[in-house]
Amino acid sequence: MFYGIVGPNGAGKTTTLTAVCGLREPTSGTIRIAGHDLRTARDAALTQLGIMMDGLSLPERLTATELLRYSAGLRGLDDGWQTRAGDLLEILGLDAVPRTLIVEYSTGMRKKMNLALAMLHRPRVLVLDEPFEAIDPVSARSIEQVLKQYVDAGGTVLLSSHIMDFVERNCRRVAVVAGGRVLVEGPVEEVAAGSTLNERFVALVGADPVRPLEWLA
Amino acid sequence: MTRTLFALKLRLFRNGPHDERGFGLVAGLVLAALVVAGASGVARGVLHEGWIAAALTGWGGMWVLGPLAQPRHEPSVLSREWLRGYPVPSWRLARALSWTELLGVGPLITLACLLSLLVLAAPAGPAAVATAGAAALTQLYLLVWAGKTVAALAAWLLQTRAGMTLAAVQTAIMLALSFAGWVPVAAWLLPRLRDGDIALTALTPGQLPASLVDLLTLLPTGWGYRAAISARDGAGWGGVVMPLAVLLAVGVLLQLGWIALTAHALRRPPRRATPNRPAAPGRGLPGSGVAPQVRAVAARELATWLRDPARGVELRSAWLTPLLMAPIIAVAGWNWALPFVGPAVAVFGAMVAINTYALDGTALWQVLTTPGAVKADVHGRMLAWALLFGAPSVALAAVLWALTASPVGGVAVGGAVVAAAVGCTVAPLLAVMMPAVGADARDRVYPGQRAGDPTGGQMTIFPLVVLASVVPGVIGAVVAGRWWATGLSALLLATGILSTVPGLVVRLLHQRGTRLLGAMASRDAAALRPSAGTKADVPAR
Repeated sequence: MFYGIVGPNGAGKTTTLTAVCGLREPTSGTIRIAGHDLRTARDAALTQLGIMMDGLSLPERLTATELLRYSAGLRGLDDGWQTRAGDLLEILGLDAVPRTLIVEYSTGMRKKMNLALAMLHRPRVLVLDEPFEAIDPVSARSIEQVLKQYVDAGGTVLLSSHIMDFVERNCRRVAVVAGGRVLVEGPVEEVAAGSTLNERFVALVGADPVRPLEWLA
Repeated sequence: MTRTLFALKLRLFRNGPHDERGFGLVAGLVLAALVVAGASGVARGVLHEGWIAAALTGWGGMWVLGPLAQPRHEPSVLSREWLRGYPVPSWRLARALSWTELLGVGPLITLACLLSLLVLAAPAGPAAVATAGAAALTQLYLLVWAGKTVAALAAWLLQTRAGMTLAAVQTAIMLALSFAGWVPVAAWLLPRLRDGDIALTALTPGQLPASLVDLLTLLPTGWGYRAAISARDGAGWGGVVMPLAVLLAVGVLLQLGWIALTAHALRRPPRRATPNRPAAPGRGLPGSGVAPQVRAVAARELATWLRDPARGVELRSAWLTPLLMAPIIAVAGWNWALPFVGPAVAVFGAMVAINTYALDGTALWQVLTTPGAVKADVHGRMLAWALLFGAPSVALAAVLWALTASPVGGVAVGGAVVAAAVGCTVAPLLAVMMPAVGADARDRVYPGQRAGDPTGGQMTIFPLVVLASVVPGVIGAVVAGRWWATGLSALLLATGILSTVPGLVVRLLHQRGTRLLGAMASRDAAALRPSAGTKADVPAR
């Protein structure tokens, strides 16, 4: 299933996801991933996770193939990773630039590379921070197609996004957060409460005041 | 516009940071005072005036060599990035900027130093002093613009494909001269040290050879001195006006050159140097007996050492420096000391590997979220370092021992073994403990971009590696020059270090890893302190 976290900037979406990935200690509560407690069975929990963080570096001086080989080696994966890597590079359109280093990648290519990296070890849960932010519609479409296949095959995707349209179309459940608090959580239809998710979101978090700027006239 | 830029620069000075600027000001004024005091000693007849010419040559040389010694240092307070989008012709902007370049610690302390010219001319009366004043100002003008133009040229070259090698060669030359420049002097003072004879060559204080002083006054750094001395000695207007006119003319040309380079930089969008691409898709690191996780990290590290602009400069300079030191030592006739170039490779290799975690930046998240990867990362970094610096340093010491038949070759090899063990393990330890956080890995494309200043870590590991490498030789000497004592102590020491420090680094990275990642994400090393936030904090955007 897809689970969406939406909220204004600074609401706590990335904070939540970094805690889920074990990069931040939660101030209260526990995090369980596929039945494994992140605090007491960290390695078992992280093994089930595929992570795509926004705005963080990768080993920048490697090519896509080298990065996937490195990641497979780091996780001690068996030989099957090569087939999966080839498929991911092809379906995400990254095989066309075999000698390009990650540092030269555009934002869209970088997102796709992150997704390939997150899926290489066939995790049960994907945690994606803003997977569609600042990318072109073509890259967004290929990422969406891959994610749908992953969910159809039984995977779970936990993602944060500002793209309400995607969340409304794909997510089974959604949490609206603001100021570090969950304002509402549940099935998307219930949260939307008869209007569009975007309208409901604005109603929940409030909109900035709008008045005419006379000096523009 | 010039007034606005001046005001902006003054405000930037006032807001700091003040540490480096304050230190430069105080240290520069002390040195300038020494030169002025020397000039007054000339007037009293206690010092030969040639020493002032030598001091001014050294001072002027720093203006030109300084930007070459620190090729990755942003030379200007007012960044070009801020001004690139302004709707003002680039030539006009560059011209206004050029006058603000005269405002700074460098010009101030150089002016203080050049007051020595006035002191030199003082015995000849007010007219000579006035001429010396003009000489000081024109000399300052030339030095400032020589330095600024060299810095602008270096900054431009760093953005070219050859920038990495150029920066490495610059750094290596400066380091080799700094670390081995004393050898010819020592060889002259101690000509029979190889045989254990420490009798010093007798020194006779006196004056510099006249031909050397003449040569110094022919250099651009000596033209002001030449004008001041000519005025003092009443050499006629030709001897006075000519150097001043040439100083002014060359200064104007250099300023125009700087304006042209800066206008060019302002017109162009920021350049992106083409990184070193692999000739073919890379393969994993072959090797048996090494865990695949460690092999994967070592392969990543080797590729990064060769392709990352900051690491590429460090790798090249770490290897070029000892290789440049070797001919200096050989020319001085100290062939018996050549095997010590081996441990020097380990020393410089350790110094350049002091900041690898900060250079890799936020890519650390992958290591922290992959089960078992922390240990593999630490060991893989060590394996890559051993392949690039450690093993070659021992091999180089052994080969140079065989070639020179040096009586201290065994000590050099033993020292290289221990230096390699310390460099291999302590460099990643310090990289975790005291990272110099700069621009993130994804934002660095060419060597001129800020990558954090690891001087603190380098100054920590340098004495550590040097002292450790001396230990086997000292132990060998204590047991009456027994070679086996040197070799055995080197092996035991290296084994002890290799079996204890890596575990410490792994434990430390487990404890501080998320804080280290937070520090690099926020580009603030203060985030490393436990009090800076909650236990593990990647800043939310």
